[in-house]
Formats: sequence, structure tokens, C-alpha cells
Amino acid sequence: MRPSLTYTEAELVQGLKARDEKIFSYVYDHYSPALYGVALKVVNDENAAVDLLQDIFLKIWRGIDRYDEEKGRLFTWMLNIARNTAIDTLRSRAHKLGLKMQEIGNGHYRQEQLTVQQSVDHLGLGKVLDQLNKEQRVIIDLAYYRGCTQEEIAKLLDIPLGTVKTRMRNAIIQLRNILKQV
Amino acid sequence: MDVQRYISSGIIESYVVGLVSEQEAREVESAIAEYPEIREAVEACRQDMERYVELYAVSPPKDIRSRILDAIENESSPEGEELLPEELREPGEAAADRPARPAFKLTPLRVWQIVALLAVAGMLISILFNNRYAGQLEAQQVEYASLQANQAALKEEYQAAMAKLDDVTGELNVLKDPDIKWTRLYGTGKHAGQLATVGWNPESKEVYLRALSLPEPGPGQQYQLWALYRGKPVDAGVFEMGKQQHALQKMKPVTAVQVFIITLEKKGGSATPALDQLFVAGRP
Repeated sequence: MRPSLTYTEAELVQGLKARDEKIFSYVYDHYSPALYGVALKVVNDENAAVDLLQDIFLKIWRGIDRYDEEKGRLFTWMLNIARNTAIDTLRSRAHKLGLKMQEIGNGHYRQEQLTVQQSVDHLGLGKVLDQLNKEQRVIIDLAYYRGCTQEEIAKLLDIPLGTVKTRMRNAIIQLRNILKQV
Repeated sequence: MDVQRYISSGIIESYVVGLVSEQEAREVESAIAEYPEIREAVEACRQDMERYVELYAVSPPKDIRSRILDAIENESSPEGEELLPEELREPGEAAADRPARPAFKLTPLRVWQIVALLAVAGMLISILFNNRYAGQLEAQQVEYASLQANQAALKEEYQAAMAKLDDVTGELNVLKDPDIKWTRLYGTGKHAGQLATVGWNPESKEVYLRALSLPEPGPGQQYQLWALYRGKPVDAGVFEMGKQQHALQKMKPVTAVQVFIITLEKKGGSATPALDQLFVAGRP
């Protein structure tokens, strides 16, 4: 559910740039569930996700001057920060354990995240995911939440490297069609 | 540029989910700047992904909110600085707005760490394989030796069988030869029950003998075959006993014969038969 804003995006950006703490707490209240959801889905660990959320908001607070509205909306920018921060953590954790990214991710798809599942079920997530063919969901999640490369995805899904991009397009087109119905 | 083709190639979706390389990302960004349709397609795709991501939205634990707001409030104080993640403490260092995937920073130290790790891993793999191959080699050498021994044994058996076959075939040819007349030589008196057979070809003069049931001679003694003709004994040769007892032995040719006799003589044979040592006799 998209938060219904009482500020325009331009006002939020301006407020953040002006170090307005009221605007910041407003941004936190409205965007933290989505950003926390990304962190949780990437690291699959509540404690780590909480620490990540703090890093993510500090990066937003400190990095707002580098935000360029020409390149995309504020939410897109914040999601990128969340995703990059979480995947960096996942990578260094994988690095410490001497694992490949895929290996860390492997348990992820089998063991469904109950907390995530429950809290968003009223949004019809279960229905969306049911309709989204498992292979298509996996290709999106491997790229977005695992940060896998095309080579890794081709290997994991046992498909030719040259077809990864078109499969990704098909998966997102299907996702678009399903989201229209929700 | 064929914009439609570019859009349908999947590059845009891959860019949005962070699947492309940094170079590809820069290409997409310049295409966005140049073509409004591409900008629109990217934005539409971002919104799809964002709706998908929002499906996974979860409210964070309540207490984290005040922790983060405190950190913001005190960020310029030394205590606030302490709360910050390490990479944010030095101003200007946080590259928060990288498009999709940050690359690993390759400091010289990390490069050397990776090189060292790879070297150790390579060595371990090499040791592992060496051990495995050494074991395999040893096993193969043992197997090879045993196969070789086996092969030699088989060859020997084969040669023995072939030799035996030659003998048997030769004997069979002799036995089947219709020109050879076969005579049984019987023992009488104290030699009753002793038996030998002699085959003689009157045309070719060839003589063959099977010792059959003659008793084994003493050391230094040998049986000798004689052909008696008109009262005169003609030497037809000595023959072997033991293993050769039942074999067909070729003797000296005989031109004419009335009676074959076998006497026991000294080893190598005698010029004249010792008739008191006559064992068996037969008339062809």
C-alpha cells in the first residue's frame, strides 16, 4: 500500500536537504516498512535487518544532497540505497563464511518468511505470488534481493546466458499484469 | 537506434532489477536521457518493481524508530558520530546513490588477500588431486601387473593346449590312416595281462607304438621294439614310458615283419634282443 503523502516529493527532498527532522521522521514513518521489507528479504534475519535499517536511514539523511531528481523518484533512490546496503552486508557475510552468493540465498526460497508472509497477506501477496509462476518469481528475486549476476542466474536456473534478459522482461511483464488485478 | 527493439530486449528490466554491469547501466542511463520512450519504459518498470517490493513491506520494531531519530538528532555530536555506521563517519565517502550494484572495492590489501586465498585453495586442490591420482595410478599399476600375469598364464595355457591339440591331431591322423595295420602285443606266462599295440604301414614302412600296460622299467633300463623276420630280429627303436606310456610314439621304420616283440634292454637299446627279457609279442 503506497503511503498517502501529505507532502509532495519535492517538499520531502527539500525538507531533508534542509536537515528538517520533522520531515525526516515523516519519511521514516512512511517509507520504513518498504525499506525494512527489502532489508529483511535480503538478509533473512531480523536483527541484521534492524541494524541495516539504521544504516539505510543514515545514508538517506547524509546522502540526500547527492539525490538527483532527474534520475528518478525519491522512493526509487531510497530503495536503491536499501537494496545496495543490504546486499553489501549479505556479500560481506558470504565473504566471511566463504560462501557464494547463491549458497547464502539457497535456503531463502524454501523456507518462506512467515513474518513477511503474515504481515502482508491482507494485501493479497499470497495471491500475487501464486499467480506469478515460480520460475519468474525466482528470477526477479535472485536479481533484486540476492544481487546475483546474469551468469549466476543462468547457472542457477540452468538456462542459456543469452536468455536471462528476455526472461527477466517476461517475468516483469507478467508481474505487471498480475499487479493490475490486485 | 531502434527504440522499440531496445525496449523489448529486456535490458530495461534487467537495469531496474540491478542485473546489468556498470557499463551497461551507463548505456541505459544515456539512452534514458536521449529517448523519452525509454525513460517512460524505465519508469514504468520501476513502478512495477516498487509495487512488488511493497508487497513485502513490514513494519520495523517500534524501538528502532527512536534509535534512528536519536542518531539523526545527534549526528554532529561525537556521540552521534559513534552511532553512525563506519563508512558514514568520514564525510563524502558514502556513495549512496550508485544505480544498481556497487562493485567490490579492490584495495591492494584485498587483492593480496584474494591472491593468497586462491593460492592456498589451488594448493589444496592440487594436493587433493595428486593424492587421488597417485592412489589411482598405484591401483592401476597393480591391476596392470595382475592383468599381465593373467595374460602370460593364459598364453601358456593356450600354447600347451595348442601343442596338445597338435599331438592329438597327429595321433588321430595316424589312428585314422587306413594303410596302417594295428597289432596287439600280448604278454604270456609271468607277463600275462601286459599289452602294447603297434601300428605298421607296409607302404611307407612307418611304425607307431602305444605302450599301454607295460610295467615301469627300472633305472637304467628301457623297452625296445623288435621286428622278427625270417628268424632275424631287426631293431625298431627304444621308447619312453612314464608320461609317454599312453601316447603314440613313432618308432624306426620297418621294411618287413612277421612278429613284433618288446624286450627290456639297457637304456638306449641293444644290438640284439635279450630274449629272456621278452615281455609281449604279436603277429601282424
